Amino acid sequence: MAHRSNNVNAAHDNALIDHFFLGIGHKVLVLSPSYPFVFIGEILGVADDIVEIFVETTHFPQLENRSWFIHIDNIEVFYIEREGAPKIPKLNDMC
Amino acid sequence: MLRKYHIVAIPIRIVVNTFGDHNPNGRIYVLKENEQKAKDLVKKNPFTPVDLIEPLTIRANEGDTVEILFENQLNFAAGMHFQEIDYNVLTSDGADAGFNPDTTVNPGEKIVYTLYATREGTCFFTDLGNVSSTEEGSSVQGLFGALLVQKRGSSWTDPITGRPLNSGLYADIHHPFLPSFREYAWFFNDEMEIKDLTGNNPLNPMTNQEAESFHGVNLRYEPATNRKRLIDEGVVCPDCDGEEVHHDSWVFGDPATPILRGYKGDPAIIRLIHAGVKETHVFHYHVHTWLSDPSNTQSEIVDAQSISPQSHYDVQPLYGLGSLQGAIGDAIIHCHLYPHFAAGMWGINRVFDTLQDGSQCYPNGEPIAALQPLPDRPEPPRPTLERPGFPNFIPGKVGLKAPRPPLGIVGGRDMTEMERNAAIPNARPGAVFVDPCMEDPAVVEFNVSAIEMPLVYNKQGWHDPKGRLYVFDEELDDVLSGKKEPEPLVFHVPAATCIRLNLTNRLPHVLDGDAFQLVTRAYEVGFHIHFVKFDVLVTDGANVGWNYDTSALPGETIQYEWYADTELKAFFLHDHLFANAHQQHGVFGAGVIQPRFSQFFDSRTGEEVDHGTQVTVSHPLIPDYRDLTLYVHDFALLFNKDGCPIQPPEYPGSDDDPGVFGVNYKCEPLQFRLGKDCDPAYSFSSYVHGDPVTPILRAYEGDSIRIRLLQGAHEESHSFNVHGLKWSQERKDLNSDTKAQQHIGISESFTFEMEVPYSGDYLWAFETEEDVWLGTWGLIRAYDELVDDLIVLPDRACLPPRSKPLPTKTGKPPIRANPQASLPPYAFPGTPVRKYDVVAFQTPIIYNSYGDHDPFGIVFALAEDVEDILSGKKNPEPLVLRGNVGDLVEVSLTSMLKKELFPYPDGIHPYPPVKEQAFYPPSLRISLHTNLLDYDVKTSSGETAGYNLDQTVGPGEVITYRWYVDQQYGTCAMWDMADLRNHRSFGTFGAFIAESRFTSYHDPYSLQPVKTGTNVVLKHPTLPDTREFVMIMHDGVRLEDKNGQLIIDPKDGVIPEVEELEVDTYDYGSRGFNYRTERLINRYRELPEMSKLFSSELFGDPATPIFEAYPGEPVTIRLTNPAERRRAHTFHLHGHAWKFDSKDLDSMVQSFVGHLVAGQTENLRLLGGAGSTYHFPGDYLYRSGNVRWDIELGMWGIFRVHDKLKPHLPRLED
Repeated sequence: MAHRSNNVNAAHDNALIDHFFLGIGHKVLVLSPSYPFVFIGEILGVADDIVEIFVETTHFPQLENRSWFIHIDNIEVFYIEREGAPKIPKLNDMC
Repeated sequence: MLRKYHIVAIPIRIVVNTFGDHNPNGRIYVLKENEQKAKDLVKKNPFTPVDLIEPLTIRANEGDTVEILFENQLNFAAGMHFQEIDYNVLTSDGADAGFNPDTTVNPGEKIVYTLYATREGTCFFTDLGNVSSTEEGSSVQGLFGALLVQKRGSSWTDPITGRPLNSGLYADIHHPFLPSFREYAWFFNDEMEIKDLTGNNPLNPMTNQEAESFHGVNLRYEPATNRKRLIDEGVVCPDCDGEEVHHDSWVFGDPATPILRGYKGDPAIIRLIHAGVKETHVFHYHVHTWLSDPSNTQSEIVDAQSISPQSHYDVQPLYGLGSLQGAIGDAIIHCHLYPHFAAGMWGINRVFDTLQDGSQCYPNGEPIAALQPLPDRPEPPRPTLERPGFPNFIPGKVGLKAPRPPLGIVGGRDMTEMERNAAIPNARPGAVFVDPCMEDPAVVEFNVSAIEMPLVYNKQGWHDPKGRLYVFDEELDDVLSGKKEPEPLVFHVPAATCIRLNLTNRLPHVLDGDAFQLVTRAYEVGFHIHFVKFDVLVTDGANVGWNYDTSALPGETIQYEWYADTELKAFFLHDHLFANAHQQHGVFGAGVIQPRFSQFFDSRTGEEVDHGTQVTVSHPLIPDYRDLTLYVHDFALLFNKDGCPIQPPEYPGSDDDPGVFGVNYKCEPLQFRLGKDCDPAYSFSSYVHGDPVTPILRAYEGDSIRIRLLQGAHEESHSFNVHGLKWSQERKDLNSDTKAQQHIGISESFTFEMEVPYSGDYLWAFETEEDVWLGTWGLIRAYDELVDDLIVLPDRACLPPRSKPLPTKTGKPPIRANPQASLPPYAFPGTPVRKYDVVAFQTPIIYNSYGDHDPFGIVFALAEDVEDILSGKKNPEPLVLRGNVGDLVEVSLTSMLKKELFPYPDGIHPYPPVKEQAFYPPSLRISLHTNLLDYDVKTSSGETAGYNLDQTVGPGEVITYRWYVDQQYGTCAMWDMADLRNHRSFGTFGAFIAESRFTSYHDPYSLQPVKTGTNVVLKHPTLPDTREFVMIMHDGVRLEDKNGQLIIDPKDGVIPEVEELEVDTYDYGSRGFNYRTERLINRYRELPEMSKLFSSELFGDPATPIFEAYPGEPVTIRLTNPAERRRAHTFHLHGHAWKFDSKDLDSMVQSFVGHLVAGQTENLRLLGGAGSTYHFPGDYLYRSGNVRWDIELGMWGIFRVHDKLKPHLPRLED
């Protein structure tokens, strides 16, 4: 039982990693329970189970325009923007 | 570890400031080792404050056993009662409660108290041997202190010497692996006896009347009156007026009140303790913010916090001293209630940027005491001639007003060389010594003027001829010409915005005199802000300590800069120079920090805007919402249409509660909404009277809304209630309790986020009796179909076009609502139904065995109990209904009210009084309103408000309300809404308890199922059996004694008797729990020994409920205050504690509930069950924390934990 359960977890993680890998170069929105909670930017790469995102927007402007490395276990909600699918809203200060 | 303290209670003269004001009859606790030294010093310094004469502050660590040897040198029996700590109630309660042994001691005697420090935090202690509210009492005269329990393994040192410390208000706390921090104990106390240097009552030099009573900190106060005298005598600052320099150290030197010293960035905790007896204060700390519950990171961020007697909070400034921006300088800390602030209830947090080793001096030559750097933080730079550090780079002149800031005044001065050395590289107007706006954020700029103009409050012509307010410059012409209705200034900015504000002072130099006020040369005005980040030296909008005077003179413009680092609530802004003189005229406003990337629209036109009390907010990611700002304010100094002052004080300049109240500069008094039928049941009806002039917050059914609640002026507590809606107490926290009521004091700010489920008119009201009587109520109106002048939220589908016309005033009462026509929003067809038949009727209520009774009581009862109550077989108790989650509760209400059974046939209800008495005869209609439950507001809220149909019933009529129990709320308050003025003080209230699904309710003695009752056992298939006690704490009661004489409380209940008593309208009335009161005066007349008055051995048990349990049994207390006065109470249960938020495991633990006012609901799950952690049996007092005047007036009772099985009380099953 325990063995099967591990397989499921591994399959789940692998599927997520693959999904993010296929999203490299695309824009992504990630919600995380950890500070600073929200990330919007381009997926630059995936190393093991860590996703590198060039973050254009997060909760605090002081933490933007830099790469963030986010462990996939710390991603609660995500959306990868792909062609033909709804766009992640453009977020501008003082729009 | 065992710690021992030998503490002595001594009578002593307490000198409270350097002007020689003193309490000749002070009483304090002092360590035995300091006793003689303290007495000698006081003898040698009869007119100078002595450091040892302060509230005793001792320390221990979590897990310690603390042994207190208490010695009584007072001339009456006394003791020490500790809060928040475990102890054996039979040996260490410090009281003579119930059948416990007496643990107070007579003069000259000693006793040992043993305490178990289970948790970190503040353990306040005071005496319960003498609870007189007069100067004969103990607590009121200074007998209090605190045991501060630190994290296990902590040690503490003297901040000046660095040496270990045995007691003291201020300490540096160290821990092997946690950061060291500064600990400051801050004791508010009020109403203490004070004489001036000559031994007479202090006088106010402005009015030549007696000065405001003592309101101080740590047994010190620094009133404006003393400092004003020095100006009037030409000793200092001859061109000053008084209030604008009250806190100015350049003029007067530092105050006698606390100066909390630290270095920039130091971690700190202020142990905020209310040791006073009467008032609910608002603690405000400039520059800094903190979590309202320090143990819960999801709790609200606050920078002002109400605190009522015998309660306490930890104030742990986020980012340490100086906040995120690292501000240096003097941050004033004060009670925000202006009369208290002026009376001297303030101090300073001084944040240094250079090392203080004892060799430096302040600009006036006073030495700066050394301050040890915290050992785990870098040592600050040493001062040099070029860079002396704060305050010595500021070019002020001693004896004159603080200098104006560099750069900030338009047309003003540049920096001096010393200032330039201290400045940031890119110094600019409003940001000179610290940069609040980090990393080039977006910038917005506002231009605002302060002006004076008449403000009209209602259609009856109540007006303030000298209204003073902030107005956007672009709207000046429209506001002054009457094209635009004036309202409190509210602007909106997204988070992460740098705000630049230019304030121009267009006020007249002089605030003219009238029946309310004396002529005041209010020639300066500022723009003090809360919450945001700023440079306190140049942008505080105030004049504090050794800072600059950051205000604008007449005709002058000053520039401020602030940073909104994150989404905040509405942040309060107001003048800080002449606030006591003119803030109540309207000088207040707010900024709202909205989520980043928000846009704001005029809700009527859809045009983009950046200000307004009602806007629509749109956001790319989160749901759009309506944003609505409400300001309550008191001390509104209004005149009627004939030019007569409304509620003027006894003499101009008195702070004795002058004037009336408003909301956003409007009020809708109930006396003007009586109608042809003279029936108060329709006072809120727009059908009969049209809409009120107070704000109507408009939305569509299903909209999200956020209400920003603030208080703009001036001294009093208010209780905000919304009928039919509710919100999370901690907005960010998914585990939060749900509330429909909020206590508020001046400068506090709350955001309530909710959805409006159904169309209809939702009443909002500041719902204590006098508030609502004077017109502080209005509506939230939700439309079901489109209206022309309200845009649809951008992210919602368009609503159906209007198919029927909007209702209008008819002058006639609406038809009866039919609650059966709809289901509550969250109910579903087939929901199980629980039914109650309730009757409202008049019956005498016997309040105690001494014959105190209410011959005109009005009660709600189950139909099956009516006969027993009317025949005298049953003495009624407030009705408590229950339902489980998932129940649809149908309550059929019948009125049996009779006109002849009301006491005042002339239609004026004289006692307990309210301001502006007027003809308002009692209604024979009645209703039931509950808060929190789910219902259709158009049919089942219990009030006939706005354009809702009639939800009240007349004699012989029946209405069946439908309430759905959608959550396990526990306590829901319940009260009549047909006539708040004439019914509620006679008993028309109760509670609804929303229990978990599958719960059954049982009589505690027979364990048989019951339908109602204040004392039940809850049984549940999967939860432990639990005792549930419902405590309804109420005031404003009209009682007669056994001879039929009206009891005028508080005067008739004060011990010892007094000739005269200064009483505010909202303090009148008797009070107690559950229609019972044990007024101590009755016991005192039998046996005049103060320390014995809680004894059941001598007097038998009190009339108030005796709640019983066995050690360790689960106990939940359901506490509410449905009625009715504005004076806030504290609830305290001896020896027990509970989570502040009953739904949240992260919540802080406390043994009190603060600032209880009408509508409040609380659930207290006793940690460790009956007898607390150690399951100690005995009698535990439950009581108010207000020594003045609740305890004397009978607001106390007993929770009895039996050690042996009693035949009448079965044990709960494990």
